[in-house]
Amino acid sequence: MRRLLRAADVGQVLLKGGPARLPDDVVPRFKPGDRVVARNINSTGHTRLPRYARGKRGVVDRDYGVFVFADASAMGRGKQPQHLYSVRFAARELWGPEASARDVVFIDLWDDHLDPA
Amino acid sequence: MSDHHDHAEEGSPLTETELRVRALESLLVEKGLVDPTALDALIDTYETKVGPRNGAHVVAHAWADPAYKVRLLEDGSKAIAELGYMGRQGEDMVVLENTPKVHNMVVCTLCSCYPWPVLGLPPVWYKSAPYRSRAVLDPRGVLRELGVEVPEDVEVRVWDSTSEVRYLVIPERPRGTEGWSEAELAGIVTRDSMIGVAKVQAPARGGRR
Repeated sequence: MRRLLRAADVGQVLLKGGPARLPDDVVPRFKPGDRVVARNINSTGHTRLPRYARGKRGVVDRDYGVFVFADASAMGRGKQPQHLYSVRFAARELWGPEASARDVVFIDLWDDHLDPA
Repeated sequence: MSDHHDHAEEGSPLTETELRVRALESLLVEKGLVDPTALDALIDTYETKVGPRNGAHVVAHAWADPAYKVRLLEDGSKAIAELGYMGRQGEDMVVLENTPKVHNMVVCTLCSCYPWPVLGLPPVWYKSAPYRSRAVLDPRGVLRELGVEVPEDVEVRVWDSTSEVRYLVIPERPRGTEGWSEAELAGIVTRDSMIGVAKVQAPARGGRR
């Protein structure tokens, strides 16, 4: 079936958006305050885990709820609903001792990107 | 974009990118995959209807109404929708507040994720490789080059938009704007201040709109 966007529908389609949040009841693997380490994965396909964070230690800051796991859906492997977190990494953990001791980077990561640290 | 290939080809007033876009568009239209009037409606939306004035409205409202700011920081999507802004690339909004002790800035190191309903489409520099790589590695250096000197005792928080969550920064309200109307406040809020790469400046005395 071919889906063609018509001019008359543009406003409604943009307003509706394409939500990635899911109503699924999934148990979170982590909670805010948990220490985590980003997995050292080296996907040949799509991943939302940036290279600069792989193997780095951080702290779960917020649990955003259950979302489509983009790494899977982008590769045609379904939604694989799981929790999405904002994970806080110290700049020095990511970049070494020359980085500011005060600064931090928050990265949005899913359950499958993280292990307990 | 400072792409050196992006210059007009000999004998054509169009750049290589423009030619490629036109070729793609005509193919998609001829094959019936794209309705050109829908394309015009999309372009018109982001040229004339949706842009950083929406975000400025949100920020000014938050500055003027402390209860609204609380709601905005608690549930960005819901509070922004109160003002009528919602939809594509803004389905899940998180709002961050800059204070005298914390400076937030937003980047998408993987591509160009950006909160469309409140800021419109991203500027070219936001999508550029230098901003995307340096914002996380050397945020203070990037800010300095953009004219923002962040004192050593202020924490810089960089938000890498790696998911479908979109971030909006509430910049610090400048001194000297006490008693301003919401419309006056909205008039000084810039796009860059809502990405977190600029401060909002109060116009000099007499410059008030």
